[in-house]
Amino acid sequence: MRLLRELGIIGLSVSLGLGVGAIITAATGHSVPAVFRELALGAFSDVYRFANTLMRATPILFTSLSFLIAFRAGLFNIGAEGQLFIGGFFAAWAGFTFSLPPVLHLVVCLLFGAAVGGLWGFIPGWLRARRGANEFVTTMMLSYVAILLTQWFVSPGGPFHGGRMAARTVRIESTAELPRLLAGTQLSWGLLIAFIVALLVWYFLFRTPRGYELRAVGQRETAAEYGGVNVARTQILAMVLAGVLAGLGGAAEILGIHRGFTVGFSPGYGWDGIAGGLIARAHPIGAVFAALLMGALRAGGAGVDRAGVAPRDLVEVLQGLVILFVVAPELFRLVGRWRLRRRAHGRAQS
Amino acid sequence: MDVLSLDLLVVALRLATPVAFVALGELFSERAGIINIGVEGSALAGALIAGIVAHYSGSAWLALAAAVGIGMLLGFIHAIWCVYLRANHVVAGAAVNILVAGLALFLTVLVWDWRGRSASVVSLDPWILVWLLLVLVVVAQVFLFRTRWGLRLRVVGEHPQAADTAGINVYRTRVAYSVLTGALCGLAGAFLVNNLGRFTAGMVGGRGFIGIAAMVVGNYKPIPAFLAAYLFGFVDALQMRLQDVIPSEISMMLPYVLTVIVLAGFLGKANVPAALGKPYIKEQG
Repeated sequence: MRLLRELGIIGLSVSLGLGVGAIITAATGHSVPAVFRELALGAFSDVYRFANTLMRATPILFTSLSFLIAFRAGLFNIGAEGQLFIGGFFAAWAGFTFSLPPVLHLVVCLLFGAAVGGLWGFIPGWLRARRGANEFVTTMMLSYVAILLTQWFVSPGGPFHGGRMAARTVRIESTAELPRLLAGTQLSWGLLIAFIVALLVWYFLFRTPRGYELRAVGQRETAAEYGGVNVARTQILAMVLAGVLAGLGGAAEILGIHRGFTVGFSPGYGWDGIAGGLIARAHPIGAVFAALLMGALRAGGAGVDRAGVAPRDLVEVLQGLVILFVVAPELFRLVGRWRLRRRAHGRAQS
Repeated sequence: MDVLSLDLLVVALRLATPVAFVALGELFSERAGIINIGVEGSALAGALIAGIVAHYSGSAWLALAAAVGIGMLLGFIHAIWCVYLRANHVVAGAAVNILVAGLALFLTVLVWDWRGRSASVVSLDPWILVWLLLVLVVVAQVFLFRTRWGLRLRVVGEHPQAADTAGINVYRTRVAYSVLTGALCGLAGAFLVNNLGRFTAGMVGGRGFIGIAAMVVGNYKPIPAFLAAYLFGFVDALQMRLQDVIPSEISMMLPYVLTVIVLAGFLGKANVPAALGKPYIKEQG
């Protein structure tokens, strides 16, 4: 019953966001039916477009899980974008540097991405737990550092520049490639890894003592401490896991789709993760559906652009509006209370 | 090449200006108990609207007013979300950032047909805004610690129940100062456009977040926050000089790395407002 109510509120919030988006669409001189039709067609109309939706949902699921695991511990990881970059780069590095047998090579690359991402989460986690540094500022700052660092790595003149003109590394060994799930599309096995990881995060959070401690710290830090939870260690763990998840996402994206690190590989998947994690109300299984919604918006946005009915960035505006309404849980309760009061008032008058 | 010179100190002041506007803005919000990480997006919105209004009206003053106006609107929305809808402050701010980032790309395509940048627009002498900032910093310091209104503001952030008992409307005070925060972010954005003579979607580029850091380092006090922002401006100016010597990507990391280092070292003794980020729920009588 509670779940149904939650789902209802999320559904209403999403619709309200899209509704305000429709007003902006119309106000800027675009056809609302055309935009929403192309949005739906671009995301779902055939198997290739749906594969595109799933392909874009994959990294968003990773970054959503990254955001929500920190959020469950009462922390904010808003630097998933940088963790995605640094994880992606080091996965590619392992991919073109080592020579290993097929499956082993792939696993090593994924672990490399996860580990370096984890390191990128460890720094703000440690700074928060031991030095009291605001993690939402430090994750953001380190995100810029990671992006600039990887940009330099692959820029002409940088140490790992491997393209002729383009800012990218050389191609990874074929043994490190994450295979495609569907021929003729860019959808890779990364999707299945993401699903499995979502289940693992769910299991960790709700079925293990460590996960319970993590949530306890997120709910009431002082109470958790009295209860014998090591708050500092739990906070660090949460941020490391957040970094690992985003780093793994970057690795899967690079190994599965681009097969070499390129700076333009993310249109903002790290930011989408904040949205995904929030729409999912920080639940790992909910994140699967939230990531699908975000992926569909991205894929549909490309369709809107292709059809020429509106610039694709309109979709980002829609996304922002959806988030804005999803994060205001009191909105509908407030409306409900107001209606009750009005009804009571009406009765008193008659 | 002379890396350190008087000129560098002047450039640093200019680079510090948007950071300091945001720092000052964040200070008012957080003193009232509201965390606003949407300052990054509010500054970007100010810049965007300044660019658009300057483009259509040809008036840089009108553009400035519009930037302040959009900042106030976003500050108002943020406050409604935090105070009345009891949204998580950080999350609501992040939503503002994402929304504005999307609008910046969308509207530049509509207005100039370029994704994420404008044509050059009319601009004011950016020094007008630098001087305005310096005046505002001093006024804010006096206001906060030497006036009755400043005291009321601090009480709302420290002990909302006490403020309520003393007859101060906690909700309205929070909304009002959040709107002020937005106005100052709008000025930060307007400064960036007047400084460059055009709008680009990457022009805020983390300066909003650095402004929050400067405010924290300045221990929630206007003049120290300004000095912290100036330090960031100085490092920013320095990194531009260093670009001839080391790769630009590496030198551009400097302000971000500095922020992390500084936050790690100084926050231990910060006097964070006690009710920061907590919704105040008035008891129903």
